[in-house]
Amino acid sequence: MMKFRFRRQGTDPQREKIKQELFAFNKTVEHGFPHQPSALAFDPKLQLMAIGTKSGAIKVYGAPGVEFTGLHKDTTAVTQIHFLPGQGRLLSLLDDNTIHLWELVAGAPREVGGVKKEGVVSLQEVGNYSLPGRPGIESCSATRVTVLLLLRSCDLLCIGTEGGGVYFLQLPRLSLKDNHTLLQDQVTQSLPDDYRCGKSLGPVESLQEHPQQSGKILIGYSRGLVVLWDLSTRHADQLFLGKQQLESLVWERTGNLFVSSHNDGGYSVWPVTSGNTCSHQPVTSTIPYGPFPCKAISKILWRTTQTGSPVLLYSGGMPRASYGDRHCLTIQQDKDHVTLDFTSRVIDFFTVHSTEPEKEFDDPSALVVLLEEELVVIDLQTPGWPSLPTPYLAPLHSSAITCSCHISSVPPKLWERLVNAGKAQQGRQHTHRSWPICGGKNLAPPPKQQELLLTGHEDGTVRFWDASGVALTPLYKLSTANVFHTDCDPSEDPQDPSDDPDMQQEEEWPPFRKVGCFDPYSDDPRLGIQKISLCKYSNKLVVAGTAGQVIVLGLSDERSDHLVDVSVVDLLQDREGFTWKGHDRLEPRLKPAPFPPGFQPLVLVQCLPPASVTAVALHAEWNLIAFGTSHGFGLFDYHRRNAVLARCTLHPNDSLAMEGPLSRVKSLKKSLRQSFRRIRKSRVSGKKRTITTPTSKVQEANAALAEQEEVAPVQRRIEPRSADDSLSGVVRCLCFADTFLRDGTHHGPTLWAGTNSGSVYAYALEVPGVGTGRVCERGGASESSVCVEAVLGKEIQLMHRAPVVSICVLDGRGKPLPDPYEASQDLAITPDMTNAHSVLIASEEQLKVFSLPKVSAKTKFKLTAHEGCRVRKVALVVFSSTAQEDYSEHTLVCLTNLGDMHLFNIPGLRPQVRFRVCFYLISPSEYERFSLSAKVITEPLFSVQLDRPLEPTPAR
Amino acid sequence: MNRSFNKSQPLRNMDCNAVEVKSKYGAEFRRFSVDRVKPGKFEEFYKLILHIHRIANMEVMIGYADIHGDLLPINNDDNFCKAVSTAHPLLRIFIQRQEEVDYANFGTNTITRKKKAVVALRNNDVNRKRPHIRIGMPQDFRPVSSIIDVDILPESHRRVRLYRHGSDKPLGFYIRDGTSVRVTPHGLEKVPGIFISRLVPGGLAESTGLLAVNDEVLEVNGIEVTGKSLDQVTDMMIANSHNLIVTVKPVNQRNNVVRSSRISGSSGQSSDSSGSTGYPSLSVASVGVTSSGAHGYQDDLESDEEADIVIESSLKRPSQRSNASLASSVSRTHQQTPTTASGPPAPPSPPSRPSSVVSTASFHSHSLSYQLHRDLNLQHNPHQHSNPALRHSNGSLHKILSSLKTDPRHSLALPRGGVEEDGTVITL
Repeated sequence: MMKFRFRRQGTDPQREKIKQELFAFNKTVEHGFPHQPSALAFDPKLQLMAIGTKSGAIKVYGAPGVEFTGLHKDTTAVTQIHFLPGQGRLLSLLDDNTIHLWELVAGAPREVGGVKKEGVVSLQEVGNYSLPGRPGIESCSATRVTVLLLLRSCDLLCIGTEGGGVYFLQLPRLSLKDNHTLLQDQVTQSLPDDYRCGKSLGPVESLQEHPQQSGKILIGYSRGLVVLWDLSTRHADQLFLGKQQLESLVWERTGNLFVSSHNDGGYSVWPVTSGNTCSHQPVTSTIPYGPFPCKAISKILWRTTQTGSPVLLYSGGMPRASYGDRHCLTIQQDKDHVTLDFTSRVIDFFTVHSTEPEKEFDDPSALVVLLEEELVVIDLQTPGWPSLPTPYLAPLHSSAITCSCHISSVPPKLWERLVNAGKAQQGRQHTHRSWPICGGKNLAPPPKQQELLLTGHEDGTVRFWDASGVALTPLYKLSTANVFHTDCDPSEDPQDPSDDPDMQQEEEWPPFRKVGCFDPYSDDPRLGIQKISLCKYSNKLVVAGTAGQVIVLGLSDERSDHLVDVSVVDLLQDREGFTWKGHDRLEPRLKPAPFPPGFQPLVLVQCLPPASVTAVALHAEWNLIAFGTSHGFGLFDYHRRNAVLARCTLHPNDSLAMEGPLSRVKSLKKSLRQSFRRIRKSRVSGKKRTITTPTSKVQEANAALAEQEEVAPVQRRIEPRSADDSLSGVVRCLCFADTFLRDGTHHGPTLWAGTNSGSVYAYALEVPGVGTGRVCERGGASESSVCVEAVLGKEIQLMHRAPVVSICVLDGRGKPLPDPYEASQDLAITPDMTNAHSVLIASEEQLKVFSLPKVSAKTKFKLTAHEGCRVRKVALVVFSSTAQEDYSEHTLVCLTNLGDMHLFNIPGLRPQVRFRVCFYLISPSEYERFSLSAKVITEPLFSVQLDRPLEPTPAR
Repeated sequence: MNRSFNKSQPLRNMDCNAVEVKSKYGAEFRRFSVDRVKPGKFEEFYKLILHIHRIANMEVMIGYADIHGDLLPINNDDNFCKAVSTAHPLLRIFIQRQEEVDYANFGTNTITRKKKAVVALRNNDVNRKRPHIRIGMPQDFRPVSSIIDVDILPESHRRVRLYRHGSDKPLGFYIRDGTSVRVTPHGLEKVPGIFISRLVPGGLAESTGLLAVNDEVLEVNGIEVTGKSLDQVTDMMIANSHNLIVTVKPVNQRNNVVRSSRISGSSGQSSDSSGSTGYPSLSVASVGVTSSGAHGYQDDLESDEEADIVIESSLKRPSQRSNASLASSVSRTHQQTPTTASGPPAPPSPPSRPSSVVSTASFHSHSLSYQLHRDLNLQHNPHQHSNPALRHSNGSLHKILSSLKTDPRHSLALPRGGVEEDGTVITL
């Protein structure tokens, strides 16, 4: 049957053309913070910053909106990146000891949506090189690259290696200058005998070019020796006989001195004077956080300023015993001393300062620190060194993301109020100096519409992001924690927490300052946000969380202190024989709490048992919210503050759902089974398994792997879903619709709910003042009819019992019903109420359209039976044509568990296009943006001014 | 619509030991009763039947509708006794002349029968030309599996259909990844494949004897599994579990069906299942298994699972009360031409298959007991006895009931006369 269907529609060329004008798949941008960054570089000329990741990606950022990505062929960690300043080229060093040269190239101009667009600038690899030798076999291979130095002239790359040799590579050809290689022996010969002591100098730790005299480089060896090497004469100008293990070197701008940082947590200043060939002692040597043993200072920067004292910046160096586990970076100038305390590891950092040779001083304006989980920028010109808000690379995952919600075409009024609320929030913590990394020019036109991305987090916050353009920028942050009484409640002292660090600063040593917003530790996991629904016309927001809390919020521009109403809804409805063994509900705050401008809570509805909320729906026009958990669903009238309905969806056999947070029993059963199997196997084999105490994680993992391999190959049980599968009562989706449930002539408000076991419940609602057919009833309005009422209209049990993923009502024309307020405020075409409606029910296995009010199947598509994939998520989307201005189609977009995108027309459910792309979750901190429309694409569009001509890519 | 219900009710109430018997021969009915405790011998019963219907000189076959609505034969003391003892409250007897008996009807899961008039027609055509191979009396058996499409598949392959309906047994098998060897133009090649890895003892798959561990799975309901992952195949099988057809390459190639009619010139491609629809397939019975005979599975595949249950509550306006007729008209829109060509025992063209069972429940009558369930089964309109829908509606009804049972808040009260049944539509 399906074959016929495919064949029939595939032959229509007209339709094929329309499809091409409607649909196109494009991967556009990535939002958020790169997962596992491993390298950082900055091009002071082009003002571009590059970040390398452990998965082999290089991401280059300039001014907001300017960003591009390069991806190495191998997914090997990028360990170093170096820009060829001003050329739009960069060098990357990978963990596999290969050096790659990249170039910015302009893509060929192309036509998008009938408009000729300039080619997108992209990063392309143009060459690579790896040092001869035996790299990679052992970690201490002699030719393993430790450091790279690119000379200012950009024609020579110096490569320091593990074996202590320094190699020279000509650029941009990437060819080795064989005869120039400087091996350690040559250096050792010129050393005084007492320093030599027969030992090797160790790997090259640092290479730095003399700031004034080109052709002279400073070579620092791990053992502590630093050599000023003249490249032209191939001779050591000066030797600095350091005794401490070296970590890094930095020149002072004049070239009269340099600073070395050491393994013991100290740094030394060395003078460079011509004529003195051998220095035994530095001028000064300091261990800033001594006298107790300290950790190494891994990198140090010394920046001169016009005002006098140089700024000293270094990472690490913390007292080993007390603060050895902190991730710190110190900024020191004169008496000012701040220890930036980060929540994740420091990968690298640089300063933005004047590099022109004419200038006398560095005058650093900003410090950019790349951490494992976020990017922090410190304004060095404003006293107190405040942090700058980042316009991109926002740490979406500052607290683990638990849900998200995208809203397009945000009304300007709401947008403005959100922006204002957000400004009021961050006003004090941040400086408003302009963003220091401003390379390239953003050419993208201002977005035609505002888009919001809402992310719910484990710590109970909802963050609002501007998703209109290429860069995802934070707008506003809403915290729901203050509705509740939590252990670490700041309620007793409603002071702004940003005051506290300043007060502590005086007393504490080191002078820590918490910087950054990445905070993976949630105070209370019950605060986690599970579902979000926003009505953009009435500015009502519903957020629901892990402990069965459903909060209705309204937008307010004024600060308010009020008590939040609490309503408890028992979803079990006196069902007996069940005991909840999960977490307790959150205790609502008893005292009025201060709520800053923005979304302020109006009502808190608490579901009992306090299981995680699995679905919410909001109808602001009817003042109703619906919410569902693993036990049932409820309907609440937030205007009159009363619960309208509570319905238990539990199957009588489903005892597991009551056990609390997801099947503990099951896992116990499973682990028991496994351990039995293991025992049985060891008996059968007769071998006595020696119980080894795993000494390392690797061994442990290997042991586990070996264990796994011995167990029978992966097999899958074939069994139909049965009614009493566990968690069958989980409510998966809820939806409100004004449609025909009772009969074909009277439409009215309805509520639909779908569960994990393929059940759909439809309720007819009596909402006072709503619905055309109830005029007579309103005439005789008694006290009771003022309340909203819900009457069960239909119960549908899908025979295949697959979880219901989505329910949507289609109007007489087969178009989805508009959102609340859209029809009444003339924002959408009024739905067709004259012809029969239908309901689209998408389960994990099938898509089905049923007629209304008589529920009978009209069309269906059995996705799983045919493709073997299951529906993960569906959405109804309007696609506009690129060719005809006013032509658009409603399409059902369906994401499957195989990462495919299937597009179906509605209500016919004919497959339109399938995009075989793999959507996999690879990063917990990024959103990847895709466009399925041929017309609307959000993609970076910018230009970069280079020293060399930016040629379009030759066609390959 | 509810005449039988009303009539039988007083009887039932009066005497618990008497089993009401409603016997049908052709278009004629006879009603009498037998003692539930001591039903007597089959011989006597047979004579009684002949007497009551005044067909003394005829060789007849006696059948009855069991609680599942299946037509089962009565031909010895045992099954007569069984028929009487399980009858509740009414024992419905169907009499056919021996020469008219269509054995294919017996014991079939009624769903599989005559959904598509076209198929039924062809089936009968074939039967007329070639006498049905009589394998044996189906007795109390219900088909749990069959081998189908033998004529179009290569001999080394086997297409097995597992009937889930009416069986409480689990499907009971596991599949795994593996490699198989294929003959290609480039020689032998190792390709990934899906294999049956385990059969659950007592499960449906094991009890059929048609599937074995290490059989390679080639297709699931007509769709090739090559290039699909284990998880995909698992999902496909589960999605089709109500009517699962797997094409396997048995690891043991000695028990293959050998075709005599055709020289095996068939290609290995068996995916074009639509072509097979009309062909009669050879029925192969293994232990306790009866083939359902000639059914193209494609039809079943299309219609079988369409049985989502809709329960409507009492919120409807009076105009909606007559939903029974409405529903059947709706269901008629889905079926393919219900022409008169259905098999001989079938009544004049009932709506061949409903796509869904629509029932109107006043929500006070929520949790009906299993008792009622059984009542309903035996309250069939006699015209429907061999209608596939009947069995089907049973299944759905069971589901309705089980779903209703989930809500114990509602009382057991069943409004008098509130139970109606009209073939495809059950009105609660």
